[in-house]
Amino acid sequence: MSHTSHIVKRAGHTEPYDSKKVYAAVFAACLAVREPAGSAELVADKVMKDVNHWIQKKHEVTANDIRRQAAKHLKAYNQDAAHMLLHHRIVW
Amino acid sequence: MYKTKHAQPKITDYDVIVIGTGSGGGVGAHMLNKKGKKVAVVEEETMGGECPNYGCIPTKALLQAAETLETVKRAENFAIKVSGEPKVDYPALKAWKDKAVWNTGTHAGEASYKEDGVAVLKGHAHFIDPWTVNVGGKRYSAKKFLIAAGTKDFIPPITGLEETGFVGYREALDFTKPPQKLFVIGGGAIGCEFTEIFSTFGVEVHIAEFAERLLAKEDPEIGELVEALFEQKGVTVHTDSKVVKVEKKGTQKIVHVEKHGKVSKVTVDEILVAAGKIPNTDLGLENAGVAFDRRGIKVNREMQTSADHIYAAGDVTGGYMFTHTANYESRIAASNMFSSLKHLADYRAVPRCVFISPEVAAVGATEAELKAKGVHYQVGISATGWLGRANTSQEDTGFVKILADKKGRILGASIVAPRAGEMIHELTLATQWKMKASKIVWTIHAFPTWNQAIRSAANKITCR
Repeated sequence: MSHTSHIVKRAGHTEPYDSKKVYAAVFAACLAVREPAGSAELVADKVMKDVNHWIQKKHEVTANDIRRQAAKHLKAYNQDAAHMLLHHRIVW
Repeated sequence: MYKTKHAQPKITDYDVIVIGTGSGGGVGAHMLNKKGKKVAVVEEETMGGECPNYGCIPTKALLQAAETLETVKRAENFAIKVSGEPKVDYPALKAWKDKAVWNTGTHAGEASYKEDGVAVLKGHAHFIDPWTVNVGGKRYSAKKFLIAAGTKDFIPPITGLEETGFVGYREALDFTKPPQKLFVIGGGAIGCEFTEIFSTFGVEVHIAEFAERLLAKEDPEIGELVEALFEQKGVTVHTDSKVVKVEKKGTQKIVHVEKHGKVSKVTVDEILVAAGKIPNTDLGLENAGVAFDRRGIKVNREMQTSADHIYAAGDVTGGYMFTHTANYESRIAASNMFSSLKHLADYRAVPRCVFISPEVAAVGATEAELKAKGVHYQVGISATGWLGRANTSQEDTGFVKILADKKGRILGASIVAPRAGEMIHELTLATQWKMKASKIVWTIHAFPTWNQAIRSAANKITCR
């Protein structure tokens, strides 16, 4: 990433993109639907990488954008977890 | 439908921000600028978009080279002696293609916009809210937006394709050393045009199409004739076929093609993927309340999206994906944006051309569409081989087919002929204004021209 992407939060302020938060949110969503911890780690890592790739060219996105992107990629591994991530606040 | 709670800001940076400088964006941007609006355009890639840089213009430049090669090969038919075998000079061919692109003037696009007072913002546009986009790390607001972000290649999910490697049409335009054997995935307009180019230049080409014929959206006569013409040129056509797997073996690539349950293998040097396009909708559209799906941004006939102040035009709307329709839609969007007098898009007479040899062109409804709608129609067909022009050109393959309603009003047409791309406009005019075929019959057509076949086909329609 040649620049730091920023996330526009719901309240309107911005903060730097932190891929660890994506990892944590996806991991939590997986655990919430009874995905084993080891598998949840692997999935969270893959989704985090996908989101990192997506955000590379973007300077500023909203928190909802991140949530939608993460859910889109998570859907390939675990549909229930993706639904959980998209519709329930976990750690965002 | 996405709901947003953001109110329109009282002061904005621009009246209109146009996302994309291709035909769908550029035309509208210039129109709005001439109306005195403060306009900015956003461009992530090359100014001018797909058509002049990677699409219509460079492919037509290469097709002209292919046609010239064919003409030279046939020169002796017209008593012209040519010494030696004509050959393709690939580096020079690329230079010619680049010159044709240069001549479009897109390289000067940025300066041209700025001279006209239009701001140029370089970078990816991403909506933060309905009135604000972030481009290159800065936020810009506007009262209205026109989204014309175009498309990207659709890469079909074929086992081993990514690992084996392939080229898209952008890379194929820049071959300085062509493959000896090429496999084209996709029998639509792009796949057929590249098949025409490379087969004429002596490349052994295979083309695969999932549907039962090439150019499957058009009437069957077109695809069947194009397939026969390609096979005459030595192209292997795999219709009703699916590429199921690709693998690498040394420097070569093995393509597994399935037809009716049987899988055959074809070994080639390169694979060209021309399997269609998908709209560029990764623009934060949800933040702006713009509805879209995998086919593109949803617009009404005013080219307005689900967000009232945001319009969309061109390929990103998932419609016809032609430069001329993008241009038309852009004009409609720009006209409607600040006006109470609304223009509505009307697609009943969109010309569709494929610039192979002979050319293919169609307009209006196809037979399949009329059957689906339950329309009673009549057909008038004329071959082109009998024309005086066919005699003097020594090109006797082709036809004109006209579809008309019970009263003889023209609903659509298809042409395969050397100048079909030009010929189709007579029938486009007739289709647009629902003219009866008798109007064409009683119009004097110059002798000897290809358009005489249109008059002949129209003469076979009964007008009441």
